[in-house]
Amino acid sequence: MSELIRIANLNKIYDSGAVQVHALKDINLTIEQGEFIAIMGHSGSGKSTLMNILGCLDRPTNGVYQLDGIDIANRTNDELSDIRNKKIGFVFQAFNLIPRTSALKNVELPMIYAQVPGKQRVARATALLEKVGLGERLEHMPNELSGGQKQRVAIARALSNQPPILLADEPTGNLDSSSTIEIMELFTQLNREGVTIIIVTHEDDVAAFTHRVLWFEDGRLISDRKVEKQS
Amino acid sequence: MMLLFENIKLALSAIRSNKMRSFLTMLGIIIGIGSVIAIVSIGDTMRSVIASEYENVGINRVIYYVLPEDNVWYESDYFSQDDIDQIKDAFGDRIPYIDTYYYDSMTLSDGVRNQEKVDIYAVESGYDQVQPMDFLYGRMIDEGDVESKRNSIVIEQETAQKYFGTDNAVGRKLQLLSTTGDREEFTVVGVYKKQDSFLMAMSGGNALVYVPSSLYFTPDSLGFEINCYVAEDTDAELLRTQMTNYIARMKNRTTDEIFSTSARDEMGMMDSMMSGLSVAVGAIAAISLLVGGIGIMNIMLVSVTERTREIGIRKALGARTSHILTQFLIESAIISAAGGFIGTLLGIGIVALGGMLIGIDVVVNPLIVVIAVGFSAVVGIFFGIYPARRAAAADPIDALRYE
Ligand SMILES: Nc1ncnc2c1ncn2[C@@H]1O[C@H](COP(=O)(O)OP(=O)(O)OP(=O)(O)O)[C@@H](O)[C@H]1O
Ligand SMILES: [Mg+2]
Repeated sequence: MSELIRIANLNKIYDSGAVQVHALKDINLTIEQGEFIAIMGHSGSGKSTLMNILGCLDRPTNGVYQLDGIDIANRTNDELSDIRNKKIGFVFQAFNLIPRTSALKNVELPMIYAQVPGKQRVARATALLEKVGLGERLEHMPNELSGGQKQRVAIARALSNQPPILLADEPTGNLDSSSTIEIMELFTQLNREGVTIIIVTHEDDVAAFTHRVLWFEDGRLISDRKVEKQS
Repeated sequence: MMLLFENIKLALSAIRSNKMRSFLTMLGIIIGIGSVIAIVSIGDTMRSVIASEYENVGINRVIYYVLPEDNVWYESDYFSQDDIDQIKDAFGDRIPYIDTYYYDSMTLSDGVRNQEKVDIYAVESGYDQVQPMDFLYGRMIDEGDVESKRNSIVIEQETAQKYFGTDNAVGRKLQLLSTTGDREEFTVVGVYKKQDSFLMAMSGGNALVYVPSSLYFTPDSLGFEINCYVAEDTDAELLRTQMTNYIARMKNRTTDEIFSTSARDEMGMMDSMMSGLSVAVGAIAAISLLVGGIGIMNIMLVSVTERTREIGIRKALGARTSHILTQFLIESAIISAAGGFIGTLLGIGIVALGGMLIGIDVVVNPLIVVIAVGFSAVVGIFFGIYPARRAAAADPIDALRYE
């Protein structure tokens, strides 16, 4: 397996003038292609901070972050936009679909920014929505979908430019247990197809779907444990 | 390019999903552009009406009369046949037509039952050479009519229809009754087609008939003014100076006391009035577009704030700063251009309705529609820059976290 993510001596300090928050402390971490990882830890331990950095939405204060061989430090905002567009799929706790915009259009969005021609876009978005089980809901608006359905649209959207990584910060946090299982089964399937998936979660049931659990406490990575699957 | 198209679709759906607000936002631009278009179209229409009036009257016409400084006229200030002959001798080569502008109102009758008030114009021969007329039958008053003081009359097509039930009234007889009760019989020598004239329609619109000047302007009559047509290839200003000097000497007056006015003067006055109006219109346009533009900026700021989260999502999904910037710029440009377009239709509609009510053809410069829409789009872009930059500058994490 080849290395997808390498993080070395990475720190993140939020400096709002009066107070400094050391949100990530000396993180060292490598992630291989095709892994399925859960990030766990108490509230405020730095999980979302790490996800934002992994997702190129935020920059580390210092340290190294390499994604797919690219050094992320010193990239311009537009370069980071392009990296997010092509290499990363985001799934959020709050779904974050664009309101008053159909499921299909939502899924097309990353492809629009990637300048994929219209026909190809629609074909691919349709295929993805069918894949997540929403082939009948293409023209539905977000407010016409259930939480689980919204999250499946969000997953289809995250996959639209075929990124190597899916980042999901508490993707099941707003879902009931049956929807949670559906979503996790979908992730498992995608992971089998080769997508690297990193999920932040508070739930052991969710973490149980993954193959590796990273435990954070107070900004430090204190445990990195492979989960043995007895299937 | 593709993104531009996507952005336009996006902007349209954003506008559609907020119809009422979009419309209220446009209102300033609609009213501004609408009033400007209305005023400009009224100006263009007036200009064309006046230009066509002068076409009827003759652009080469100059009128002279004595205007004493103390406003006391003597008999010598009036023009006699002798004066006219002298002027003809001196300037005839450059003034193909001259008369004393004998105009009167009389009653035209067929001696049986039809009778109506008409305006009569006692012309010299050759009037139709300087003032083109459209003859259906016969001819204009000619030299023979004038010289032999024949009772010849030229009438309008409508008059011919009214009195004889036919356009071809040449050779038929009509009577002119003066206010003093004199009754004289005339023979129709020509029937002409009246040109549509707005001013004539406004001024009551008596039918106009032409008769030989010699019948009314006799060697011992006096005319208040002289009415000259200047030859096409003449230096009109030089001729005017020379004429003024000549008449001043003839009438023993200073040149300042010889008043002259030409169609060109009045056209020029009209034009300067119009350009004055244009400045006023420009000021209205500027103010209303400023107000409209600020309205758009305000709404766009609200819209950017409301859609902070959406901006964050878009950025997370790979939108570049320029993508967000153009998205909002295009949205404000489209709102503004749509306002400009609606305003244009409104302005033209108002003017067209007004024109229909008073019965004139409205002139609308098609270029103005393009300019108005284009200009409002520019206003939209200009006032959209600040909100769009705010949107584009948003930090994706903060934007995603925005409640
Ligand atoms: N923008 C910010 N400015 C300042 N401090 C911040 C900022 N974002 C996060 N922090 C702080 O950094 C620390 C880590 O926050 P983070 O959001 O990563 O926690 P988390 O593990 O995701 O918690 P939760 O499970 O509640 O989501 C917290 O103390 C938080 O207050
Ligand atoms: Mg968090």
